[in-house]
Amino acid sequence: MKLLHRTTRDFLSATIIILLVTGIGMYLLLQKEVTDEMNEQLAFQAALVGEQVATGQSTGYPFAQVTKTMDLVETPPIYGDTLLYDLVQHKKEDYHYLDLVKRIGSDNYHIKVMTTYIGWGSYYKTIFYLLLAAILLLAASGVLINYFSNRKIWRPFFLNLENLKKYTVSSPAPLQLQSSPITEFKELQAALRDLTDRSHREYMALREFTENASHEMQTPLGIIQSKLDRLSQLDVSEEMARHIVEAKSGVERLNKMNKSLLLLAKLDNQAFEGKQSIALQEVIEQHLLMMEDLFAAKHITINTRLTKATILSDPYLCDVLVSNLFSNALRYSGQDGMLNITLWPHQLILANTGEPLDFPSEFLFDRFRKSSKNIQSTGLGLAIVQQICLLNDWEISYRYEDGQHVFRLGF
Amino acid sequence: MKLLLVEDEPLLLEEMESYLTEQGYRCEKATNFEEGEDKITLHEYDAIVLDITLPGGNGLKLLELLKKQHKEAGVLIVSAKDSLTDKLTGLELGADDYITKPFHLEELNARVNALLRRKSFSGHNRILIDDLVVDTAAQEVRWKNDIIGLTKKEYELLLYFIVNKNRVVSKQSIAEHLWGDHYDMADNYDTVYVHTMNLRKKITAFTGTDYIKTVYGMGYKFMLS
Repeated sequence: MKLLHRTTRDFLSATIIILLVTGIGMYLLLQKEVTDEMNEQLAFQAALVGEQVATGQSTGYPFAQVTKTMDLVETPPIYGDTLLYDLVQHKKEDYHYLDLVKRIGSDNYHIKVMTTYIGWGSYYKTIFYLLLAAILLLAASGVLINYFSNRKIWRPFFLNLENLKKYTVSSPAPLQLQSSPITEFKELQAALRDLTDRSHREYMALREFTENASHEMQTPLGIIQSKLDRLSQLDVSEEMARHIVEAKSGVERLNKMNKSLLLLAKLDNQAFEGKQSIALQEVIEQHLLMMEDLFAAKHITINTRLTKATILSDPYLCDVLVSNLFSNALRYSGQDGMLNITLWPHQLILANTGEPLDFPSEFLFDRFRKSSKNIQSTGLGLAIVQQICLLNDWEISYRYEDGQHVFRLGF
Repeated sequence: MKLLLVEDEPLLLEEMESYLTEQGYRCEKATNFEEGEDKITLHEYDAIVLDITLPGGNGLKLLELLKKQHKEAGVLIVSAKDSLTDKLTGLELGADDYITKPFHLEELNARVNALLRRKSFSGHNRILIDDLVVDTAAQEVRWKNDIIGLTKKEYELLLYFIVNKNRVVSKQSIAEHLWGDHYDMADNYDTVYVHTMNLRKKITAFTGTDYIKTVYGMGYKFMLS
C-alpha cells in the first residue's frame, strides 16, 4: 500500500468517525433544546388556558382542549408526541402535547395543549446531508493536499529512492542524493550517505585484499610449479611420478583460480576503460579456430550462423568473455554433443546440448558455483562473464530448453 | 647468446638460470633495481627477462633506460599481475613480449627463443635437427627435401618440443602453450595426447627416428639421438 493511500485512508476514516459523532451529538442536543423550548411554551399555554377558564372566558387557542373531569387529584404534566390529520395538507403531522389535570376553583379540569413542530426526519436529513457534504469536502481537500505535497515534499525522496536502486557498492561514483528541506529526509539522506560511503570503503578494502592476496600468491605458486617441473626431470619411480602429477594438477587449479580472482577483483575498478569497437564475429571465429580440435576430440558438432556484429568493449575482456562461454560449452556438452552459435547484430546465442543443471539456475552465475560432476573447474568462468556484461551494460540470460543450455547475450 | 635475468625471487631466479643455462645460454642475474640498472648500462645482452615488480623501483623504468641507451637487447617482461595496463605500457615502451607468473620454464624458454629469432636478421629462422629442418619463417618442416605436412597445431607442438629438447615437457605446459590458459585443462590432455601421437607418427614415418618419448605419467620428451 502506498503511503499516500495509507495516510488518506486513515485521514478519511478519522474524518468520517469525527463527523458521525458530531452529527449524532448535534442531533441529540438539538432535539433536547427544541423539546425543552416547546415544553416551556406548552406549560405557559396551559397556564394561560387555566387562567382563562378561571375567569370564565372561552379559550382562544386552536390546539387546546379543556374538559371537566371527575378525577379527584391533580396530575403532574405529561408530555408526549402524537399524529394529527391535517385537512389542508392531507397528511398526518407531528404534534407535541402537554396533558395535565388542574384544579381551577372547585372543579378539576383536564387540560391538553398541543403545538406542531418540524418532524425529526427533516432535521435528521438536513444534518445528514450537511455532514456528507463536509465529509466529501474534507476528503477531497485531503487527497488534493496530499497529492500536491506528495509531489513537492516527496519528490526528493522518490528521486533518492531511484538513485539508491541504481547504486552498487562497487561503483566508483558516490551516491547522488537530492537535498530536501524536511528534517526527517535530511536525516535519512545523511544516514544513507554514511552507509553507502562506509560500504564502499569496506568493499574497496576487501577488493584490495583479494587483489593483493592473489597477487602475492603468484610468486610462491611459480616456485612450486617450477620445482615440480624440475622434479619431473629426475628419474623417479612410477609412484613418485603419480604424486608429482597430482601435485601439479593441484597447483594448476590454484593458478587458474588465482588468475580468475585477480581478474574479478580488477573487473569493477577502472582497469578496463579502453573501449573499442570490435567485430565480434571475428573474435568468435578466432576462438573457434583455436578450439576446433578440442571440440573435435569430444565429437561435438558446431553449427554457426554469424552475421556481422560490432560491439564496444575492452578487447581483452571481450576475448575473455567469448573464451569463457566457449570453454563452458566445451566442458558441459558431453561426448557427441552439439553447439549452436547464432550471432545477430545485437544478440549472441549459444546453445549446447547437455544434462540439465544439478542446482537452481539462478545460482549459475555465482562465484565458485559448479556442477558436482565437475570438481576440476574453478566455478569462476561464468561469474567473470556476468561481471563483464555488467561492466559493458549487456544483458546475459540462461534457459534450459529441449535438452539444451541456452545462453543469450544482448548488447 | 647472453641473457640477463632480472628477478627478485631467488628460488625462481635459480630455476630460470639453471634451465636456460642447460639450453645453452649464458645467463647473468640481477635481483633488484640498482643491480639491473648497472648491468644494463655496462653490458650488452641479446635478451633480458625483466620482472617489473622489483625492490628499489619499477622494472618498466629499466625498460625506458634501455631504450634511452639504444640497446639492442630484446625484452621479455615478467609480471605477477595479469594486468593489461602493464602489458600495454610495457609493449609501448618497446618490450617484445609479456609473460605472466606463474609460468612453465619451457614456455619462458620458447618465448626467449622466439624473441631472439625475431631479433636476429641472419638466417636464424632455420632450426636443424639431424636432417630435419624447421623453417620458422615459412612455418614448415622438411626432411631432406620433402615437406612434412603438419597441421598448424602439430607444427607449434614440434617447435615447442625442439626448443625444449631433452626436457620432460608436461601435458599441462603443452596445453597452455597451444590453447592459452583460457581453456579447461582437464579435457585437453586427451587432445594433447592425440596431437602428440599424430606428430610422432608423421615425424617417425619420414625420419625413421622416434624423437618423441613418452615419460610415464609425466609428459613427453624430445630426445636427440
